[in-house]
Amino acid sequence: MVRKRILNFLVILMFVALLAGLLNLDLLQGAKFRKLSDSNCIRLIAQSGARGNILDRNGEIIVDNKISYDVLILPQELGQLDRILGGVSRILGTETKELKAVFRRNYFSSSIPVTVASNIDLEKAILLGEYKQEEPSIIIQPRPLRHYPYGALASHVIGYVNEIDRWRLTKLEDYGYKTKDIVGFGGVEEKYDYYLRQEEGGLSVEVNHRGKFMRVLGFEPPSNGKDVQLTLDLNIQKIAEENLSGRKGSIILMDPQSGQVLALANYPNFNPAVFVNKRTRLIAGLFNDPDSPLINRAISSSYPLASVFKLVTASAGLELKKINLSTSFLCRGSTMIGARKFSCWDVHGQQDIVSAIARSCDIFFYKTGLLLGAQNIHDYALKLGLGKALSFELPYETAGFIPSPLWRKINKFQQWFDGDTANLSIGQGDCLVTPLQAANMMAVFANGGYLPNPYIIKAVGNLDLVPKRKKLTRLDFKKSTFETIRRGLRLVVSDSKGTGNVLSGLDVKVAGKTGTAQVPHGATHAWFAGFFPYDNPKYVICVLLENGGAGHTASVVAKQVIEAMDKQGLI
Amino acid sequence: MRNSFFRILILALIIFSFGVLSIYSSTYQKEGTAWQDIHKRQMLWLIIGLACFFIMSQISYRRLWDFNYFIYGVAVFFLFLVFALGVIRLGAQRWLRFAWFNFQPSEFAKLAVIIFLAKYFSRKSVDDISLSSSKFGVFNGIILPFIFVAVPMFLIIEQPDLGSGLMLLLVFVFLLYLTNVRLKYILILMFILMLPLPFFWHFLRDYQRQRLLVFLNPNIDPLGAGYTVIQSRIAIGSGGLLGKGWLSGTQSQLFFLPESHTDFVFATFSEQWGLLGSSLLLIMYYLIIRQGFIIAQRTQDSFGRLLAYGISLLLALQVSINIAMNMGLAPVVGLPLPLMSYGGSSVLVTFIALGILVNIDRTRSVF
Repeated sequence: MVRKRILNFLVILMFVALLAGLLNLDLLQGAKFRKLSDSNCIRLIAQSGARGNILDRNGEIIVDNKISYDVLILPQELGQLDRILGGVSRILGTETKELKAVFRRNYFSSSIPVTVASNIDLEKAILLGEYKQEEPSIIIQPRPLRHYPYGALASHVIGYVNEIDRWRLTKLEDYGYKTKDIVGFGGVEEKYDYYLRQEEGGLSVEVNHRGKFMRVLGFEPPSNGKDVQLTLDLNIQKIAEENLSGRKGSIILMDPQSGQVLALANYPNFNPAVFVNKRTRLIAGLFNDPDSPLINRAISSSYPLASVFKLVTASAGLELKKINLSTSFLCRGSTMIGARKFSCWDVHGQQDIVSAIARSCDIFFYKTGLLLGAQNIHDYALKLGLGKALSFELPYETAGFIPSPLWRKINKFQQWFDGDTANLSIGQGDCLVTPLQAANMMAVFANGGYLPNPYIIKAVGNLDLVPKRKKLTRLDFKKSTFETIRRGLRLVVSDSKGTGNVLSGLDVKVAGKTGTAQVPHGATHAWFAGFFPYDNPKYVICVLLENGGAGHTASVVAKQVIEAMDKQGLI
Repeated sequence: MRNSFFRILILALIIFSFGVLSIYSSTYQKEGTAWQDIHKRQMLWLIIGLACFFIMSQISYRRLWDFNYFIYGVAVFFLFLVFALGVIRLGAQRWLRFAWFNFQPSEFAKLAVIIFLAKYFSRKSVDDISLSSSKFGVFNGIILPFIFVAVPMFLIIEQPDLGSGLMLLLVFVFLLYLTNVRLKYILILMFILMLPLPFFWHFLRDYQRQRLLVFLNPNIDPLGAGYTVIQSRIAIGSGGLLGKGWLSGTQSQLFFLPESHTDFVFATFSEQWGLLGSSLLLIMYYLIIRQGFIIAQRTQDSFGRLLAYGISLLLALQVSINIAMNMGLAPVVGLPLPLMSYGGSSVLVTFIALGILVNIDRTRSVF
């Protein structure tokens, strides 16, 4: 019978269709459905490791982490949720209503656990841990947070951490950075973020259709970031900051033999902890402060070097044989250059090079400068490491600036006059130098002719970077040049009429140069750059006080620092 | 002759044990002993079902011929009882509560209607083996049997149980096709049935309309009416070639899939055993149905033949509609998967039907 055969055929057709449907679902779309099935029931709970510590040269901790605890809840059915939040609120002592509001605010999608409380203390975390036995959908997540045991100490070297901003994210996306990542801003935290950064680990757990926790599927432990060891000496850093306190400016101490920065203090500074605690008002205050406490003055600000620059003029004069040890000029308190009267700050009488350095006679250096010409001074300034960036390891370093006739012609279409040469030879005018550059230049006279490449990172993780550093650059000056200038620098302190005579009372033999930089507005900047002990220099010190008055004030600060170091037996 | 008895019995038992495994896997984690013991209840139904199967295979199916009006009457009576109780209690109801189980008269009605139709179209005496339907006109051939089908169908749809109701209609059309009623009449009947379909839309309940819309596009309501289909497709698809393994199906065991032990037991099974297990299951269903067709074909008695066809068709239609609905190829209608889904009435009726099938093959040689 035809009808029966057709019917038979129909039934076979139905089963073939079903089989085809199965093939389609299982094989063609199998992978897609597998993924959907996983996302149905698998929740990932991220767990972050600890950011690397920052240590001083002796391994003392400057910045570390302390563990805080967050409470997360797997999103689930409302009735269930109310019960869990009720339990949590009993333990934390916060209102259930409040917790619910937080839950609603932080809720993102049903597949992501929601933070309902953060930064709870250990005791409550333990109590919640017990409650978790009843309600496995609670997650207590330890979260290491940046901890600053010394508050604002060395804040400009360290920098701070905060949520990644859009600009950094676009730059760093390829390196595995994600939105809401905590990254470093400024200082070592920014520059070495890649090494300090922790790796995220996490838990994958299985939940049922109500979002209730069923079991743990896997765990990948998070890994901590690498520690970064600085060349800073915590004790010296503390002394520097204590003696700077309240005065705008910066103090740098450096090892002249290696270029290691031992202390780098700036004021005003900031407490990086406000970024961890998200104290919005305080953060806004930092950004709006007219004194800009976030600026690392030691490397990011430049000032006229004033009398300290005379060392450049002196070395150029001696090297190019425009002056020698017996050259002397008469200081009558002022001199005429072109049609303008240039005055000295005192009447010094007959001055040779050594005493001119010791007493900081302007007339002597005006005349030396005029003999040299501006271009030569500019060239020697560059040889001594001024006017160009030191490629220091902290971000936002400025290059400073040394003017020259050529530059002025090209950029300003202006003539260079002898008066400009005179201004440049005593470090005024357009000349701009960072405190670190000043310290670096002083190191050359301390170690007898080697220009260091200053650095502040001693080791990253287990890798010691010191042996890999660039050697100090030998400057091909005559030996006598350095000796003469060193003698002058010592006389600054030891001579009774020397500008830095205030330092002579110390047990340590100090040599150095003061500077008083005139500025268009406000009081002068005070400089002192020097080294000690004189015979075998271990430290270079550079003090800059912004609008701090005469160079004398800077040398007083330097004296206090050296005194305190001596008292602690650091010299 | 004994062959078909064992073949059908063994195939049914294998399929049934797959069903019990799936039911166990989807309910053993649920809270409450009622849920956890559900597979034991299913085993109990199996014992009762097997007893019925043996009894029916011993009693001559010709007795059904004699009792056919009675059977039909009882089925309609029960359906009416459900309808009346539903009206009194102002709520939907599909089952009657007996001492310790819920009886679903609609399952029983399917079989009763098949028996009635088989008898109707071979109305002559036992000695006359030919079908009487070749001499039927429109009234006797179409309208009268349709009225007999329409009464229980209407009562079932009113329960509301659209799936079982339409199942009766489908079986009726297919059986009509197998009799000698002229093809022209059948086509006219189908045309008349199709005609009011647009108006039929208005008679559907809201949830039934939802289901139809969702069948066309499950994503219009992913957490509501479309949820089951989406989850069931995920369950089947995520099984892949070999499946996730028994007791490892996340969709069914973590309760993402609703009705995972009744109407959607196929998805539960397929998630755990994959394409391989599911195609094996399909093949076994086909073999049982094929046995039914073979039995029908070698039966000379027209009543027995139509009965065997009817039972096989009922099985085939329920299996394919249920699986298609699991895969999202058919709208969700409340139809159990015979031998697999949990449910006493369905198990019982299926085993009775299989018993009748075996008996037809056994008694055949008498004539």
